[in-house]
Amino acid sequence: MISAKSQAKRRYVALAILSPLTILLVWTLLTAKGAVAPIILPSPAAVMASFLDMVQRGYSGVGIWTHLGASLARVGIAFFAGATLGVAIGLLRGRIAEIDALFLVPSEIVRPIPPLGLIPLFILWFGIGEMSKILLIFLSVFLIMMVNAQAGARSCAVDALRAAQSMGAGRWQIFRFVVLPSALPQIMTGLRVSMGTALTILVAAELLGGDRGLGFIILDASSFFRTTYVFAGIILIGLIGLVSDRTIALLARRIVHWEGRR
Amino acid sequence: MSIAAPVITLVSREGSERGDKPMDSSASVRPILKFEQVGFQYDGRAIMRDVSFAIRPGELVAVLGPSGCGKTTILNMVAGFLQPTEGAAIIDGQEITGPGPDRGVVFQAAALYDWMTVADNISFSLRCAGRPKAERRRVAEEMAALVNLTGFEDAYPYQLSGGMRQRVGLARVLAAKPKVMLMDEPFSALDVQTREALQEEVLRIRDRTGCTILFVTHSIDEAVFLGDRIFLLTDLTDGAYDEFAIDLPSPRANGENRLHPAFIRLRETIYRKMRH
Repeated sequence: MISAKSQAKRRYVALAILSPLTILLVWTLLTAKGAVAPIILPSPAAVMASFLDMVQRGYSGVGIWTHLGASLARVGIAFFAGATLGVAIGLLRGRIAEIDALFLVPSEIVRPIPPLGLIPLFILWFGIGEMSKILLIFLSVFLIMMVNAQAGARSCAVDALRAAQSMGAGRWQIFRFVVLPSALPQIMTGLRVSMGTALTILVAAELLGGDRGLGFIILDASSFFRTTYVFAGIILIGLIGLVSDRTIALLARRIVHWEGRR
Repeated sequence: MSIAAPVITLVSREGSERGDKPMDSSASVRPILKFEQVGFQYDGRAIMRDVSFAIRPGELVAVLGPSGCGKTTILNMVAGFLQPTEGAAIIDGQEITGPGPDRGVVFQAAALYDWMTVADNISFSLRCAGRPKAERRRVAEEMAALVNLTGFEDAYPYQLSGGMRQRVGLARVLAAKPKVMLMDEPFSALDVQTREALQEEVLRIRDRTGCTILFVTHSIDEAVFLGDRIFLLTDLTDGAYDEFAIDLPSPRANGENRLHPAFIRLRETIYRKMRH
């Protein structure tokens, strides 16, 4: 029983490692034969060389850690603020009809607008500095988290609420001890989805201008046809996405330990 | 088959007649729970009309009937989840206006909090009342012992079997020291052995705590085994129901009672009445 389980786990890990290696292999073969022009698809080795060059000498006169730090700060601030506010309002909307009514029309009008479509407006309103970039990411995280938290709060069982009431719980206690934990599985899923979206919007937001950030590196490198640097930047963002997603997923399994085990 | 004393009393009750009329042996005791000509409408449709009864402290009343007869509606009105549209539901002299810790509910599906340990589930009412941690732990351990769950205080509900989950549900209600315990078909989803063990457990707990219990069920056996009285409901729109007083040998928490001639006779009487 245990050995079958650990065998399944080993197979899982092996496949998870094998699949990116296969992609890398196909990529290497494609570029090695000279079938594709390096400016369209550079070889992995060339991308790696550019990456090491960026790590050692920075990009456009700025160290790679500064670029990375600028991007992470934007995502971090916007993600934290958007998730906090989105969860708070989403939970309230899920349980209090009046609050839901207040937010319904405005949020449903804003939600279908692609955040990228808001870029021109945000430039007009907040300029091309940090404010525009952070607000753009914040908005998309906020909207996703609000929807998830609201659905989570709605999923709370009637009997769970009634049990709390008949054990003397007040409104706040019901919220804290029953509604919030009931919504946690969907909140954690929302965090994973919105982190992915936040990174997407980050790159777009950094195209707004400025001279720092991974999005800037990608844009700048592409306008000078330095494709290897474009790839290095893209892969770096992808790696950030992978690490942050795995981290949230791991946290979710710890926090929402009861999910799927009832 | 010889039975010394009459063990079955069948009293058919018509709506409004009873009102405040004292019932049987309850004449001298103030009822802990009372319905006074209670009516309930839902979506303009009358579910019940003119329902009256009185329950003495320490009594275990089984409310028996097929699904849709309004037995859960009665329980929900006592719990305060629903309000009567006519008449009044009264607990210990006070009209019921909403849920409160003086009326604990054991739900059919336990409705435990999977994010809390067994101990935290049991002592939830104390946490709501702002009691200190040490006291909560002490009460949780006491109640866990009362329902035979010692050693499982730090487990999570999803790690327990269905029967154990219902034991936690019982302990959680007992910890709040309610005036009335409301049980909404709590054992209907369990296997027979577990169900019978828990039924005996309920009677033992009642003997030890003196708790008043309103027990809703659709099982004749369960109602007869547990009840001091049975309210048999079929259609409450005219407030009429049948009442059976049960006098099985003491101690009631004895599985052998299921084989007692009185048990079998009462079961048959109710069965015929339900089929009638």
